[in-house]
Amino acid sequence: MSERRQLGLMLAPYVVGALLLFVVPAAYSIALALTDADLLTPSRFVGTANFEELAFDDPIVPGVLWRSALFVVIAVPLRLAVATTLALMLHARARGVHAGRTFAFLPSVIPDAAWAMVWLFLLNPVYGPVNWLLGLLGIAPVSWFSNGTAAFFAIVLMLAFTVGEAFIVALAARQELPRELYAVARLEGARPWFVLRTVTLPLMAPVLTLLAVRDVAVSLQATFTATYLLTDGGPDRATLFLPIYSFDMGFELLRYGYASAMMLLGFLGCLALALAQFGLVRRWRLGVTR
Amino acid sequence: MTVLGASGSGKSTLLRVIAGLEPADAGRVLIDGADQARVEPSRRGVAMVFQSFALFPHLDVRRNIAFGLRARSAPGELIAERVRETAAALGLTELLTRRPGELSGGERQRVALARALAARPRVLLLDEPLSNLDAQLRVSTRNEIRRVQKQTAVTALHVTHDQVEALALGHRVAVMRDGRVEQVGTPDEVWERPANAWVARFIGTPPMNILPSGEAFRAEHASCAVDADGAYTFAFAERVGAERYWHLHLGDTEVVVRAPADEDVPERGTRISVTVVPGRVRRFDP
Repeated sequence: MSERRQLGLMLAPYVVGALLLFVVPAAYSIALALTDADLLTPSRFVGTANFEELAFDDPIVPGVLWRSALFVVIAVPLRLAVATTLALMLHARARGVHAGRTFAFLPSVIPDAAWAMVWLFLLNPVYGPVNWLLGLLGIAPVSWFSNGTAAFFAIVLMLAFTVGEAFIVALAARQELPRELYAVARLEGARPWFVLRTVTLPLMAPVLTLLAVRDVAVSLQATFTATYLLTDGGPDRATLFLPIYSFDMGFELLRYGYASAMMLLGFLGCLALALAQFGLVRRWRLGVTR
Repeated sequence: MTVLGASGSGKSTLLRVIAGLEPADAGRVLIDGADQARVEPSRRGVAMVFQSFALFPHLDVRRNIAFGLRARSAPGELIAERVRETAAALGLTELLTRRPGELSGGERQRVALARALAARPRVLLLDEPLSNLDAQLRVSTRNEIRRVQKQTAVTALHVTHDQVEALALGHRVAVMRDGRVEQVGTPDEVWERPANAWVARFIGTPPMNILPSGEAFRAEHASCAVDADGAYTFAFAERVGAERYWHLHLGDTEVVVRAPADEDVPERGTRISVTVVPGRVRRFDP
């Protein structure tokens, strides 16, 4: 058997999987977005009516988009900062560093639903440890799930810990940096902050940017389980992000056509952001390797 | 001063200990007579040039040279002046806005040297600075290092596994083996009066001949001729650079001697006699 055929055979399961699980549904949902499908009655072709409603007639959409964007703007830098800080703290060989790395990664292996349940307990207004800790600092108990702003930040907070993959990538990126550069910095008397600013972060920038691109999509989608199980988009829509809203539209109100149009919008939004960030990276042309 | 040793002999470790990047198991590091044991690496007044050059790939040449001064928060005018001076001394003025990725090997080497010198160190440590360059560039860069070292009058400690480089550059040469210094001396001393048989065998291509009797001499300090009563037998002839050598056998010992000028290459097994220039014979315990 030729090498090409072997490779083709090995690739086949993934191609079939990607086709069945990704390409076909995606194409189907594009088609759905052009209909008034409710999966109960025969669907009719409605052209761009769903997109027009999305753009002009749905009073809830602007808030959802604004909230989703706000979430991305707050959560992505926060998640990246957490992952990078952990990576920089845990990259050097030291006592307990392996345990530290395990703990840093651990939240990411916990299933989303279980993680949401953990936070339901942590943030419980009456007996939750978070409010207890805040109490020690003299801060009055926060009703995490009935105050809109608090609920928004509760989602941000719980997703700030599930950064295991970004952590691993950042850790690898840091370990790739030549040790001799740090020897030079040490001999020249560079303070840690100076080294971080002029050496470490600029050299990790390409990787961090790629992580940021990826995290825009990841973190936005990751809100779904949390909002579905903990807040259901509430209170008063304070955590109504694009994924949960389109889910409600499709699976609660049975407006699959409209929900598909909404998801398509989210997809295009992420795509545009990713392309913009890629363009930025290419402009920088930062190469770590010689 | 150059430190010469095979790979794994502890040369680089020695440099890192002097720089303070690694702790010493024993002994003291003195710079200008002062013990450096409790002195931070950055306060020792040492700068280092690495084999890999260790340039910051994201910074242009100017910022690479200025790195140490910026790290020490030197005033802007001083930084600008030093960068200008150092760049001029190393012929980098035209390249200040380039990034290391856009430079040739020799240019990167000069930037690494400039960065090390910009902070005016008391001691310049060079860790195999030429081994990443191709042969031609190596000679010109070697001369460049010598020139800059003279010009700045900085104490330079140059580590290398290349004996040509060590003997060419060093005012003094330390020969290292397995973490110990076997001999310290001028290049001539190391060449002509090796401290022991190991140094004698280590230095020189071909290395010093050591006979079973303990007598030792260099190939160029002996002459040989076809002689039916000679104690040696001919094995083969070889050209090394400008010289031609005859490889001879004395029992099981191989001896290399400079070939006579006009003699034809003899048959294998021909008897040969060898005469060593008087006063050029060394003696080691066999």
